[in-house]
Amino acid sequence: MDYYTDAIFRAFELIITLDSEVIQIVTTSLKISISSTFIASIISIPLAIVIARNKFKTKKFINIILNTLLSLPTVVVGIFVYSLISRQGIIGELDLLFTPTGIIFGQVLLIIPLITALIRNVIFSMDEKLYKTAVSMGASRRQKFKLLISEARYGIIGAVIAGFGRVLGEIGVSMMIGGNIKGVTRTITTAMSLETNKGRFAFALALGIILLSLSFLINLITYYLQEGKNYARR
Amino acid sequence: MPDDKIIELKNIRKICGDKKILDIDNFAVSKNKFNFIIGGNGSGKTSLLNILCLVDQDYQGQLYYKGQKINEDQQNLKLRRKFSVIWQDPYLYRGDVFYNIALPLKLRDINQNLISKKVKEMAARLEIQDLLEQSAHTLSGGEKQKTSIARALITEPEILFVDEATTNLDEESIQFFNSHFADLVTDEMTVVMVSHDRRQIKRLADYITLLQRGKVKTSKAVDNFNFQLFGAGIEAPIAEIV
Repeated sequence: MDYYTDAIFRAFELIITLDSEVIQIVTTSLKISISSTFIASIISIPLAIVIARNKFKTKKFINIILNTLLSLPTVVVGIFVYSLISRQGIIGELDLLFTPTGIIFGQVLLIIPLITALIRNVIFSMDEKLYKTAVSMGASRRQKFKLLISEARYGIIGAVIAGFGRVLGEIGVSMMIGGNIKGVTRTITTAMSLETNKGRFAFALALGIILLSLSFLINLITYYLQEGKNYARR
Repeated sequence: MPDDKIIELKNIRKICGDKKILDIDNFAVSKNKFNFIIGGNGSGKTSLLNILCLVDQDYQGQLYYKGQKINEDQQNLKLRRKFSVIWQDPYLYRGDVFYNIALPLKLRDINQNLISKKVKEMAARLEIQDLLEQSAHTLSGGEKQKTSIARALITEPEILFVDEATTNLDEESIQFFNSHFADLVTDEMTVVMVSHDRRQIKRLADYITLLQRGKVKTSKAVDNFNFQLFGAGIEAPIAEIV
């Protein structure tokens, strides 16, 4: 039992004393996750609107592909991106392997289907009268787009946060593309895996507690945005 | 119709799946008049209104505004901004009542001070000045409709389209609408109104068009209109109208 209590005590000590190594790993993780979520969102939001609002021949096929990619294992994305950015890969000359940019590239590919599918569902479930009213008020195409984004903002933020949660907790892409280089590409999840193998259980536990806290915070924000006490008043 | 025609439709066909929703050879809206479109359920009243107000562009046929053909492939933004619509079940956007009434003016890039002045004036005319800071999603049906009327009138549209605006309202709200609506509309405004309400028709109509199964059965000035035709789906007994 002492093993556990000592490890938990030591883990909290590392967090409270703001251990420099822990802080560096968490900072790297957040920088990479925020960047990949931001880029993926910029691509996913218009893509989801196009899929939800337009009629085209391949729509059904695209939706099936999108739904399939939702359950994409992170290691599969890792292998795919590795094949692209390794020395022999199509974009190997960009030297993205074992860099934060390489991880961001992989994570963007990982969460585009997730964010797109979630926003597509939000847009799809919106009241058709929203569009009709916008047209009748004299909205231009750009203004209609802005109105739609504004009306769907809580659902869109929820989808983006879900994407952020997915990349923050993933290990496959970070490990295979980043290579777990200390101070460069070592993220919370890759560090946890490494430190556990090295026997530094308390250190891994401290990172686990931080990851869990971040996850809780993400869910709390999502809850208040979508189900919070002011929901009915919006 | 002897008056100026502001909008004309020619050879309009609208098909949904296998069903022909509209099949109209000729239809005109008279300028600065109250043009009523009446008919039973499924007669195509709302479909016709959607085409007239340029919300629906998925149809065959020609639409003319002051004699000029409107190209259905274009956005028609300039023209759309001369129109306003009051819907049967209005959609209010997230935000307060002020935001919703101000929205059409914001879309037209009107100065904020002028927007504020106009919104307050319009809210006072519709007796909803106390609701301006209230969230639109907490309003009653009547308050929602008043907000949507204010939103439609704030741009002082050339043509106002009204789609069964009182159908879902309580008696008090219907009475408010019927007693105030004519005062809210200016003489320069053309009104196209889809309605079942005999009091509105009796009080306001200049022209009446009766639709039946997507076709124009008759379209006449109110004085020449054969009210015997009301048997075709309109709730009002003939004797109460004439």
